[in-house]
Parts: sequence; C-alpha cells; structure tokens
Amino acid sequence: MYFGRRLRRREDDKFLKGRGRFVDDIEPAGTAHIAFVRSPHAHARIRSIDPAPARALPGVLRVLTAADWQAAGLGALTCVHPMPFSDGRPMNEALRPALASGKVHHVGDVVAAVVADDRYAALDGAEAIAVDYEALPAVTDIARSLDADAPILHERFASNLIFEIERGDRAATAAVFDAAHHTVALTLDTQRVAGSPLEPRAYLSAFDEATGDITLWATSQTPHYLRRWLAKYALHVPEHKLRVISPDVGGGFGLKCHFAVEVSTVVWASMLLGRPVKWTSTRAEALMSDAQARDHHTKARMAFDRDGRILALEIDTIAALGAYLSNFAPSIPGNSYPQTVTGLYTTPNLHLRVRGAYTNTVPIDAYRGSGRPEATFVNERLLENGARELGIDVAEIRRRNLIPADSFPYTTPVGRAYDCGDPPALFDKLLAIADYEGLRAEQRRLLRQGVRMGIGIACFLDKSGTGSSRNLASRGGLHGGYESAIVRVHSDGKATVFVGSHSHGQGHDTTFCQIAADRLGLPIEDIALVEGDTGSIPFGNGTWGSRSLSVGGVAIMRASDRVIDKARRLASHMLECAEEDLLYEDAAFSVRGTDRRLGFAEVADAAYHGAGLPPDGSMEPGLEETVFYEPPDTNDPQAMHLAVVLVEPRSGKVTVRDYFTADDCGNIVNPMIVEGQVVGGLAQGLGQALMERVVYDEGAAGQLFSGTLMDYALPRASDMPGVRMTFQETPAPSNPLGVKGGSETGTIGAPAAIGNAVVDALWDLGVRHVRQPYTPDAVWRALEEAAG
Amino acid sequence: MIRVTLDINGREHAAEVDPRMLLVEFVRRCAGLTGTHVGCDTSQCGACTVHLDGIAVKSCTVFAAQAEGHAVTTIEGVSPEHGLSPLQAAFKEHHALQCGFCTPGMIMSALDLIRRGAATDEDAVRAGLEGNLCRCTGYQNIVAAILAGAAAMAEG
Repeated sequence: MYFGRRLRRREDDKFLKGRGRFVDDIEPAGTAHIAFVRSPHAHARIRSIDPAPARALPGVLRVLTAADWQAAGLGALTCVHPMPFSDGRPMNEALRPALASGKVHHVGDVVAAVVADDRYAALDGAEAIAVDYEALPAVTDIARSLDADAPILHERFASNLIFEIERGDRAATAAVFDAAHHTVALTLDTQRVAGSPLEPRAYLSAFDEATGDITLWATSQTPHYLRRWLAKYALHVPEHKLRVISPDVGGGFGLKCHFAVEVSTVVWASMLLGRPVKWTSTRAEALMSDAQARDHHTKARMAFDRDGRILALEIDTIAALGAYLSNFAPSIPGNSYPQTVTGLYTTPNLHLRVRGAYTNTVPIDAYRGSGRPEATFVNERLLENGARELGIDVAEIRRRNLIPADSFPYTTPVGRAYDCGDPPALFDKLLAIADYEGLRAEQRRLLRQGVRMGIGIACFLDKSGTGSSRNLASRGGLHGGYESAIVRVHSDGKATVFVGSHSHGQGHDTTFCQIAADRLGLPIEDIALVEGDTGSIPFGNGTWGSRSLSVGGVAIMRASDRVIDKARRLASHMLECAEEDLLYEDAAFSVRGTDRRLGFAEVADAAYHGAGLPPDGSMEPGLEETVFYEPPDTNDPQAMHLAVVLVEPRSGKVTVRDYFTADDCGNIVNPMIVEGQVVGGLAQGLGQALMERVVYDEGAAGQLFSGTLMDYALPRASDMPGVRMTFQETPAPSNPLGVKGGSETGTIGAPAAIGNAVVDALWDLGVRHVRQPYTPDAVWRALEEAAG
Repeated sequence: MIRVTLDINGREHAAEVDPRMLLVEFVRRCAGLTGTHVGCDTSQCGACTVHLDGIAVKSCTVFAAQAEGHAVTTIEGVSPEHGLSPLQAAFKEHHALQCGFCTPGMIMSALDLIRRGAATDEDAVRAGLEGNLCRCTGYQNIVAAILAGAAAMAEG
C-alpha cells in the first residue's frame, strides 16, 4: 500500500537541478514579445491614444487598442459565478475588458499592447505611446464605496453596488439580540492582499497559419477553463483548434485560475502576426493586474447567554470586488463566506447581509481560503472578545460551543450541512500539543517580568471539493464540479494517468500515483502522470478549492478499478477460469488453489495484440478507461490553530513565537505533503496577519502604493515561527477515498488566531481590536486609542 | 548592441546584446540556462541567485556586461550529471520545495551560507535566508534541509 506513506516526491529532482519547465523557459525561434500600456490613473476618461510614435520605432510590429479589439468583433472576459440580489434581480455586471475603452477604472488597467521583435523593443514601444487622460475622482476605500457621494465607476448603474444578499432570519436574530444576556460588537476589516505566487504569470501563443492550430503555453491551474473561456467568450475561435498547455507552474494559490486580462491579447496577436507571441509579467505588473483578494469591511455582533453559549451572529459586510468582476469573484462573499461564517459552533441564529461593491482597484478573485479567512476572522474575533468580557476562558467557551461529534451531519442556520467531524476531540488534541495550561502559566509569569505574551485560538472549517455540478449551478455557477481521468495501460503493463486537475506545487505526481499504484496493484515507478495539456487530457475543471484529491483522485481511483475489471475479464478468458476464481495481487492474476498465474503485463500485451480476445467479440482491444467523476457533495475539512505572540507595547512589534495546528482533512494519502500544505498555507495566513496589505491612496487620486515587493511585504524565513502540527482523520462520507481538502486551513485560521493573540496580550491595557495587519504602527495606534 | 562573452559554469557564452541586458537574462536567453528564475524586479525574492566568483549574487541586479571576466555559476553548474548533490538530496528528503520555482535560488543561497559557515543553527539559517522568498513552503522544511545538507557536506 502506498496510501498513507510519506513518499518523497517524484517531481523534486528536476526542480532541484534547475530543469523545471516553466512557461517563460519556453521560447520558439522567432518569438515576438508583447508589452502592455497600463493606466497610471485609478479612474480616468481616455481622451485619445496615439500609437504613431510607437509604430515608428524599430522592431515594433503592431500596436493594439480597444478600437482594434472592437473592430475585430471580439468578446469580453467572463464572470462564471454570478450572484443575483436576494430578491432575484441580476447583479450589476461590469466585466473586465481585455483593452480598456472609454474609461480606465484602476491603476494597471490595460490601455494598449505593443508587439515587437524583442522584449526591449516592446517596452520602448509601450513607453512611446501617448495616452491623454482626463483624471476622475476615485474611490478605493471599501468602507466609502457605497456612500452617496462616492464616485461611481460604471455610470450605467446608479451606484457602486454589485449585489446585495441576505441570509438567515433578520427578525428572529434581532429578537435574540434584544433579549440576550450579553452582546459584543466589532467593526473589522479583512484587508486586501496580493496572492503573489513567486512565478509571475506568463503566456506564449503560437499560431500555425497552415493548419489554423493555436498552441498556448500558460501559467494556468485550469487549462481547460482557459481554453473554453478564450474560445467561447473572448476570441470566438473553435475549441478544437486551441490547445492549452500548462507546464510546470510556480505557485498559483487561486490566482492562476482566473481569466487574466492579458492572455486573450497574446493569443490574438499571435494570430494576427502568424508568429509566436509571448508575455511574461513583471512583479510590478503582477501587483497591479493579478487578481487580488479579501477586502471586506464588516460590522458584526454576537449574542451570548450567561454561560457563554453563542445565541446569534449578525453580520453586515461590504465586500470589494475591484473595478470589474473577475471570474469567481461574486461567489466568494456570496457563497463561501456565509456558508462558513458560523464556523464550528452551534450558533442557532444568524443574520447576514453582504453587499458587493466596485472600487477603483484591481479585480478581486479567489485566493487560498477564499471567503473562509474573512468568515473565520469575524466569528473568532467576536467569540474571544465575548469570552473575555464574560470572564470565561477562551478555551472553555469553545468547549461550550463546539459542534459535538454526534451532531454530524450538522445543518447551519444558512442551511448548509457539514459532513462529519469531531471538533471537541480535535480541540483537545490542539490544546494538548500546545500545553495550553502551561502556556497560560508562562503568560502570567512573563507578565510579572514585563513581557507581554498573547495566546489566540481559532476553530473553523474549510469547504472543499466543489461538487456537485448541480449544487454549483444552484448557487449560480456556470462551470462544473466534476473531474476527469484516463488510466492508460500500455502494452508492457505500465500505465500513464491523465487527469484534468493541475499541480502547481501540491505534489500530484506523487499523491495521485500513490492512489493509482494501489488500485492497479503496480509499483509506483510503473506509473506516470500527465496534467496540464488540453491536447491529451479530457475536459477537467482544474485545481482550485482544494478539489484535486477528493474529485480528481476519485476519478483516478475509479478509472484504475475499471482497468483492473477489464484485465480480470481478459485474464479469466486467457486462464479459462471463472472471474470469481481469480486472485489479483503483486501485479499478477492467479487461479485460486492452483499454480496457474498470469502477469498483469501479459494481460496488457494480449489486450493490445488483440488476437487472443474472446472470439464472441464481447471485449474490445486495448486497456484504458476514462472516467468523469461527479462528486455528490463538497466536503468539510476542519482545523484549529493556537498562536503564541510576543508584543512590545512601546514599539508595537508583534512576534509570533509559536504556532500549533490541528487539522482534520479526512484520510491522508501522503502525510509529508499534507504537513507541507499546512505550514505553507500558514505562511500566507501569517503574512495577512502581520504584514501583507495592498495599499491604495484613499483620497481621490486612488494611487497604488504597494507597487513592488519592497512595498508589499511577504513573509521571510525569520518571520515564521516553528509550527507544530497534529491531525485527526475523520473519513469524508462523500467520496470513496474518504479524503478532504487539506491545503487552505493555514491561510484561513492564522489571521484570526494571531489577531486574538495580539488582543489577548493587550486586553488589560484596554485594547479590544487591532486593525489588521498587526504592524507596529497598527498596534501602537490601538494602544494610543485605548489609552484615550 | 554590445558583444558580451561570459564564463558560465566553465563554458564560454558569447552574444550581441542590448547594453541594458541583465545577467539573469543573459543566463536564461543567451546561454539557455533556464534554471535561474526571475520572481521580482527589485532584488527581493532571490529566485535569480547565482554565484559570481563563488559568491552569491542576485543576477537581476548585475548587467550582463558587468559579469565579463568573472566566473558565473548557476544551478546547472552545481548539479551533478546524475542524481542529486548532498544539499539537493536534503531538500528532497525534507520536502523543502513545492512549486520548485524559488528552489534553484534557495540552493544557490544555501550553498553560499554553508560555504561561509553561517548555517550553524535554525536561527542563523532563517536570518541567512533573508534575501530569498518562498511562497509555498513556509520555510520550515527549507531550514531543516539546509541544516541537514550542511551536515552532510561537512561529513563529505
């Protein structure tokens, strides 16, 4: 059995030796390069664009603007998860244009593209294009976006409102608050962050005029989506003539799912010029064009009884979705957020209002966690403040509110059913590895020495696996939730697995082949994995939402099982015995009670020779199976975090000293990889908590300040504490592998746990909340405010 | 255009290039050694780290022309033809990479840390990786791998 083993990764050697193959590593002879002209304004009318100076430069081949795009009759980018108003009206949809026309709506909006013989000539051409703008007042602050006097981005709508939804029961919840023993209220922001995978996005498109074939190499987590979107929405080219190859991808975290603004123009340019065209993002462009994340402004209340049991949660959130709607954007605050906002507690009453809003900022879309970090932050910050005000220990109040194991499947006030789990047991595991009582004693001891230590906890759930397609559609989705796999056994008995998901660091080549090897009964060395090529793989929904293993993994399992079923039928024919008498082990079929054996490779050989098949025609030659697996439901991974911080009140500096995690992500195929996902996700969550923040001028100019990695801080090795992990494996009931998503919890819980720890360290000084991220400036300001 | 001739991994590479060409672009485009990566434009991420006369530098902050007369070593130059070096093997053993994009730069920086005797304990390695960003791993396993790799190299 390979399942459950810490197999070292098969994909590592090439990366360690510098032999990975990323998009920018590929450059056919004669490749032209694109540079984009981007808006320096947050909001402006385009008076004119003069491409003539660029066209006059040596090496410049073509200048493209919105006028060319429109003349060619091309389409728009797409939003595949619309969110209607609660009363059924459609949302106010403004799609991201490939090339801005009439107005620009955020710094970085693409105005023109210059194609040239090399990158330098393209950059010089972009510099030479003269764009005359009439600057308009901008709004970048989500809290102000719906004010009556806020500048309106898209004049065809009366305001910046995109949609407004309500969940739960407003009147019942208000009544509970009126009668409650205690209530706690907070205004909290989950700030805007930039996902920032280390490999910048890149696209290389080659067009063969003789055949009409287009090949696009793209940094994509979802190559089939990209092909469909390009074909159907933007370029109107036939899908069978467009092949999307996503080679090694250097991290994605969601934002390489999206229909990026630049890719259509790269493909279109290659068709216009009849030669390969390439664009590789700079980091500065990434910080003004990659979809960003979070950006919630929330007012929330929690009601308790005298024993600290949560009675109700009331939330009013404005969620910024940027200047235009990116693919999945409305679904993040509209679906993921309400479905997880009561977390792992038995909160009986909920009222939630979410308003999506346009601001003059980069479009928002899914980034690791996607709605759950925002939800967890609200729920957990309120709970700990409530506990302290009630004088109840923050661990004890959780014990009183966690969903008991025997309440699963558990239905929340928004009607969502969590599949399975044992939160109280998971909580005990967390407190045990952290030595919670010992930490509290140390905290008291250190305080006497003048050292402020804080302990913060977060308990929460993820939402993974994204199925079924019907479920997705019922919530507005225009895309599927299934996954495809082919298991192709070759004539020598070794196999290639093709799957529609796509690894960008998750180790699919190892994990997926562990599953296939177990089901096929073959050594893992005899199995290869192919991902990321629409030319060889059936339509897949790609890798996002922690879906690869629980959906794609099951597709592989089923296809493998069908291969063995067929091999068994052929073996029974070849061995002239009944199928029931066959035993399959060690890659060989044997007839029970005899010494007659047939190796799997011999069966494969016969399947491909074809001559030895049953003469009645009951079996086709070949040995491969294709499965499209539709999951019946999502799954609900659960996790709990405990952060220990040290806060220096005079400087405001926060250091995360220790971090403990307890995860229940169902059965674990490769513990080494899952632990890597937990710590890696945590680094991103810690980044959100301590330092990451996309900063816009909040005045009328709306300028982007965090334009490079000198201004946008990513966590470094010395920012990270040592992380201690524990796991509980409650098998998911919705898939036969019993697996759940395991890669997003770190990002979801850390802002809440660290935020709670910072407030814990400063509670006796009167601090009730600190604006995230917890930079020295933010902590110092909170202390000043508390001191009055 | 200027003619630049560079010694990269002991081999001579010559090309006519734009004077503004950076060393990392020469390495990737002119020498075809694509293991050295570009992750930012401002020398923050370290994915482009190479050795110049044995010392780790960020090849996005050196013009190609400036590297003439110096020995440039890239990830390809420190990789054995077959198998992995002790440090590379430690990275694999400790699951110190996920997407693999930062990994060549991490290896080149770690080799420099080890050469300088600065990979002594966890805190020293964390401090020593100040110039290298990894967005996937959370660093814990990278730190463990560098300590293990340093020990393996010391044993020789």
